[in-house]
Parts: sequence; structure tokens; C-alpha cells
Amino acid sequence: MTSTVPPLAGGSDGYTRLKQTSNTFLDNAHAALQDADRIQRRDLMALFMPIVRDAAMDSFGQFEELRQQVKQVKQHTLDHLDHYLAQFEREALQNGNHVHFAGNGDEMNSIVLEICQQHSARRIVKGKSMVTEETALNDYLKRAGLRVMETDLGEYIIQQAGETPSHIVGPALHKSAADIRKLFLAKHDLGERDLAETSDMVGEAREVLREHFLKAEVGIIGANALIAENGYSMLVTNEGNGDLCANLPNVLIVCATIDRVLPRATDATAMLRLLVRSATGQAQTCYTSFYSGPRREQDIDSPLETHIVLLDNRRTEILASDYREMLQCIRCGACLNHCPIYAAVGGHAYGWVYQGPMGSVLTPLLTSLEQSAALPNACTSCGRCAEVCPADIPLPDLLRDLRHDETRQKLSSPRWRLGLRLHAWLARHPMLYHALTGLGIFSLHLLGRRKGSFSRLPLAAGWTSQRDFPAPEGKTFMHQYAAMQREDQAREHKAAHAAESPPAPGPEKSARPKTKRTRPARPGKTRARTDQAPPGKAAAGKTRSRRPAQGRAPSERIEPSLGTDWAGEADNDAGGPDER
Amino acid sequence: MSDSPRSHIFARVQRASRPAEAEAIQRDLDALGTAPRADLPAPDLATAFLANVLKNSGTVDCVANRSGVVKALAEYLYRHFRSHRLVAGNDPNLAAMPWREAGVLPRFGTVEPGEPVALSYALLGVAEIGAIVTVTGKANPAANNLLSEHHIVVVDATRLVPDMESAWKRIGEETAKSGRPRGINFIAGPSSTGDIEGKLVYGAHGPRNWHVILMGDVPATALAEAHTLAGR
Repeated sequence: MTSTVPPLAGGSDGYTRLKQTSNTFLDNAHAALQDADRIQRRDLMALFMPIVRDAAMDSFGQFEELRQQVKQVKQHTLDHLDHYLAQFEREALQNGNHVHFAGNGDEMNSIVLEICQQHSARRIVKGKSMVTEETALNDYLKRAGLRVMETDLGEYIIQQAGETPSHIVGPALHKSAADIRKLFLAKHDLGERDLAETSDMVGEAREVLREHFLKAEVGIIGANALIAENGYSMLVTNEGNGDLCANLPNVLIVCATIDRVLPRATDATAMLRLLVRSATGQAQTCYTSFYSGPRREQDIDSPLETHIVLLDNRRTEILASDYREMLQCIRCGACLNHCPIYAAVGGHAYGWVYQGPMGSVLTPLLTSLEQSAALPNACTSCGRCAEVCPADIPLPDLLRDLRHDETRQKLSSPRWRLGLRLHAWLARHPMLYHALTGLGIFSLHLLGRRKGSFSRLPLAAGWTSQRDFPAPEGKTFMHQYAAMQREDQAREHKAAHAAESPPAPGPEKSARPKTKRTRPARPGKTRARTDQAPPGKAAAGKTRSRRPAQGRAPSERIEPSLGTDWAGEADNDAGGPDER
Repeated sequence: MSDSPRSHIFARVQRASRPAEAEAIQRDLDALGTAPRADLPAPDLATAFLANVLKNSGTVDCVANRSGVVKALAEYLYRHFRSHRLVAGNDPNLAAMPWREAGVLPRFGTVEPGEPVALSYALLGVAEIGAIVTVTGKANPAANNLLSEHHIVVVDATRLVPDMESAWKRIGEETAKSGRPRGINFIAGPSSTGDIEGKLVYGAHGPRNWHVILMGDVPATALAEAHTLAGR
């Protein structure tokens, strides 16, 4: 058995799947912002995807109840993963599968290659699987002389173009129809043709790939869920390509990670309700299939032999860590579709397999924080990802914790860390903080009085290199707040004295509502739970201890960083003590 | 088979898991209750099912009995192909249709290249998701569901279930004797893709058209109401 493969390097054919470029995120992002055509397409997606997702949520009914129920089941499963993983293995073996375990990507790749070689297979058809992107399986098999065809249209397109996915659900959405037309004309030797319409291109890929489906000896698919009670794996597609991979070749290999296990079939379909609506805004995907094993006596087609490869690749590390909640991820891509950073720079800037908020958490955990320290910083803490995450993962919290780890491991620049330490120390001395900010604001007010803004400021080049800094009005937020409070008290005092006369229905409001952030409610978008603590309290509690496992509402986590106003408040500042 | 990664993974998973007896785990799981299902578009099961099939870009027919099925099939085939050629799975329910009444004579077996229409008989129809369910076996060759241009499915109205939970229950009952099927397929629409600029195109790999014939005792208004609900 020869399953030794030379070490991977960026090939001339454009296969660069394992060359991680997460650490040059800023440069990647800068480059991405030069392409006007792609920017426009990203903007459109960022506009369109949230709308279809929201519409799907609304028509569902009890979406929040569903989200909480599925989350509880998932947490229960992770709490007892030893039990459920063993149960899945038992049932899968009983169903006639070969079950393999792989500690890391290389192990999985060599298991898959070995199976292919045992069957002298040369042609492989493959359904969409992020796990195999993670292990760079295609490269590995190709190096051993096998011909692997991606059959999901998006994956097929980027495979032909020698690119990596820019989105976990729509891997080729960064390419224009014109790009794809050019690609197909160059790659498919089919003579003169127009390919003017999208449907023409889809039709051409259909014809080309059907040939491969009919000739392939091995099919490889991923799994959206592994069902412990009956050993089935769930496969969700719209194209039906995964089902062709699972049914036509004589050998089927299912590649999945151990965290895909769910207890019951009904749990898998409950999760599906979240998945389809969050991913594409559909109420149901076209093909949702459950496969148990090889051909039965009464079957007339389908694989004679089936393998399930269960990959760890650091999931057990995540399971034992404070980042366990990340294992609740169902890979729907909603956090990408709602992330302002992702919308601005696109998926390739993230420099590895996973993108957007979930990618910024997963990439450091699956590779290393050293290799991807830029990613947890690619976040504005706006909290939209946590709001829409169907698995209710506190993504901004996890990103903040990773930044915390960066600081502790001294991966950020010493100057940055010094600044944070200074800020944290100040934030814990509110009197001094207020005195200093008051002085600073007042001096800036005096200095900038004439022009109204600064085109240059010491220590603020990051701001002033791009735009002017407006001169402050003279008083800090806290000063203004205290003044309003005093006014309020005076008014109450007066009212108490004039108690015999009814209170005047005056137009003046109390100062309190003014201090609250009054973000206009976005109907159908904000689905925060109701167990929120007041923002100040929650944030203060959060800065002291690491994340508690449960009971956090998405919106309370994001409050402090949304308005700069909060930054001056006593000991609750977003970038403060927890960043040390 | 690789034994050492297995024991290594299990050891690590066990260290991170909460120790408990199987019974206690089952009790905890049961205590979590069941997930809510999607709101049905109509209180009547058949209407809801038809409306969701339409929303999933399927087309529908409603007939009273088997004679209605073959008549509807004949019309569909004539409308699209000006012929009565058809491939049907080896399903006793399909074999028993009064084919001669409508002059349709299907070939029973697996779709071959160049044969555009396949007919299936659904194990179930699921109203919540507008899907039909088939299980693998000689009655349902994979090619018939996945490679034909037109996939037509007959659903008996007595085989409609409201949601996925009841679908699983019914699948368990229906397959109790034959054992776990190799594959269980929920199909809800023609094969589609949005991978090129997010534009929805039908017939990515599989059928471009998906036609459902609901057979049985269905309210007379169901079809019209379903069309109204689906807006098409």
C-alpha cells in the first residue's frame, strides 16, 4: 500500500489549499478592496441574504424556541459525546459500514487514499464537504494520481479555476457569470458556443459532470449530521449532486468530524429547520437524504461498500476548552452573510478554509493562533453574527477571548499591549479616568475650537491618516450625564414641593431616556432573548470572569462596544481589562 | 482499520465528557422536549402539503383515485412530450395502476440515458416541508429520482403526515419488517443551484421539473387554495 505523498506546496496548477495566508489578513483585505466588480457583488449579497433569511425566520413561527431547543440538545450531546459517539459507531457498524477514526487531516487523507487504492479506483466524484477542504483531501489524492471531481457546481467552478472557497455555502459566489463563462470556454473542449445565460452554464456543467458520475468508482461525501440512534448520516443539498455521489459509484466514503453527532433522527431534522433557513432562506432544501450503509439484498443499485471516516482534527481540544460552544456550529454561513467585515473584504481575505466570524474563531483553533492572529481582530463587535447564529454561538465573545489569548501569549505588538494595560488600569480607577479624559477633551476643545477638526493628532494617526478628527465640544459624556442627572433631581425636588398641583405634562423628558442608546428597532431582525441584564451590569460582570457557559443574551454582550459613550463609564469598557 | 487514533480520540472525548449512566443521559434528553415545527400554511393537511410543494417550485395535480392518476399522467406526458413514454420504479402500487384506461404503458425499471420521465410512488408526503419521501430499493432506483429530466411522484393522501417528527415515526413503522433501508430520501423540489451569482437555476444535476400527483379524498377546494397560498 503506497500512501506516502510528498509534502504540500503551492502548485503551478493553482492548488494552494494548504498555504494559509490568514496572518496577512490586512494585506489580503486591502487587495480585495481594489476590485470594484467584486465589491459590488459582495454588497448585493450582503443586502440580499439577510432579507431572505429574515423572511424565512418570520414564516417559521417559533424560531427562537427552535433555536434554544436545538442548542440544548447540541450542548447535551457535547456533554455526553463519549456516549453518543460510541452509540453512533456501534449503529454504523451494525448497518454494515467500515468505521475509521482519524486524529488529524493527514490521517483522514491517507485512510481515504488507502480505500481508493484497495479498489484500484482512479476516478472519484465528490460532494461538497468543508471537512475535506480542511484536510486538503483533493490535493492529497491528486498527488497519488487519482482524478477527483468536485460535483457541487460552486466547488466544481473553483476547482476548475484552481481557487479556494470564498464562502462555506456558496464557494464560488465571488466569481461573476462572465468569469465562469470564460472559465468553462477554456476548460471544456466543446467547440463554439455562446454560454450567454446562467442556465447554459449550469447545463454544460451538468453534461460534463454526468459523465463523471457514471464512470466514477468511488464517491466521497460529507455529512450535515451523524445520527447516534440509528447510524445514519444526513446529507443536505439542493443540486442532488451529493446523492449521485452516494448512490452511483460502487464505493462510498463519508467524511465527517466527530462533532456532527446528534442523538436522534428528529434532532437532525430539527437542526435542518435552522440550517436551511439560515443558509439560503429556503423552507426546505431539495434533497435531504439519510444513508445507513451498503447495498441491501433487495437493492438493485447503490454502493457495495461504505466507509465512514470520523475526523478529530482538534475537535477534542476544542471540546475540552473554553471554546466548546464553537462545536455547536452547523455551518450555515449566516454569520458570513451578516458580517460587515466579510461583506467588505470577502472570504479569501481570511486566508484559509473557513471565513467570516465562524472562520475567525475556527481558524485559530484548528490551525494556530500564531498563524491567524489577525483574524480575531477582524471584528467590529457589532454582534450581528451572534444575533443571527442559529446555534446561538456567542461569536463576538469567542473572538474577544481569542484576542485575550493573543495578548496573554504576547502575539500582539508590545505597544498595543502596553496601551491596553494602561487603558485597563485607568478604567479601574474611574476618578482618575474621568479627570484625565475631562482634561483631554477640554484641551482638544480649546485647540480645535477654531477649525472644528484636526487633520493630525498624536497617537491617532490610524484615524487622521484617513479622515479629520472632529474637535470635541468641551465636556465628556460623563460630565454631560452628571449635569443632566442634577437637572433631573432639581426638577423632581421642585415637583415634590409643588405636590398639591398635578404634574405638568411638559414636553421636557427626563434625562434618563437620553442616555440609553436608542437604536431604531429593526423589525424581524433583533431576536435577542428577554433575560438581559442592564448593559452596564452585564458588561461589568463579563470583564472579570471568563465566559460563563450559559445564559448570555447576544445583545448584552455587544452593548459596550457599540457606542463610544460607554467607554468612559466606570469599570465597564469593552477593550479594557479582559484584553490583558 | 486504525485502532490507535480511535482509542486516542475516545480517551480525549471521555475526558471532556460528563460521566453519566446511559439511562440518565436518556432521561436528560427526553426532558429537553421536542422542537417546534414550522407553521403550516393551512389547517387542512392536503392543502398545506400542496401549497408547500408549490412553494418548493413543484407542480401539482389532485385526483380522486387511481384512474385519476393515470389520466393526469397521460395529460402531463402529452403536454410535455406529445408521447406516453414513461419509466416507473418496480413498485407494486404503480404496477397496480389501471394503465390501459389512459393508454399509458410504462416501462418498469431504471431510467436509461435519453429517457426523460420517471415515476415514483411516495412512501410519505410531509406537509411541513412540502416533501415526498422514498426509501431506496428496487421500487426506487437512484437514477429515477436523480437523473431524469422530469420526476413525477404519486402521493396517496392517506400517506400525508404533518411534520418531520411524524414522518420519522411513520418511516419506522413502515420499514419495521424490512429493516433499516439503506437510504431515506426527502425530496422537495426540482434539483436547483444558486452557485452562479446567486441566480436560481433548475436542473443542476437532477430533474428540472418535479410534479406531484396527490391521490385520494382531498377537499374540493384544496388545489385552488394551495395555489392562492403559494402565490402561483
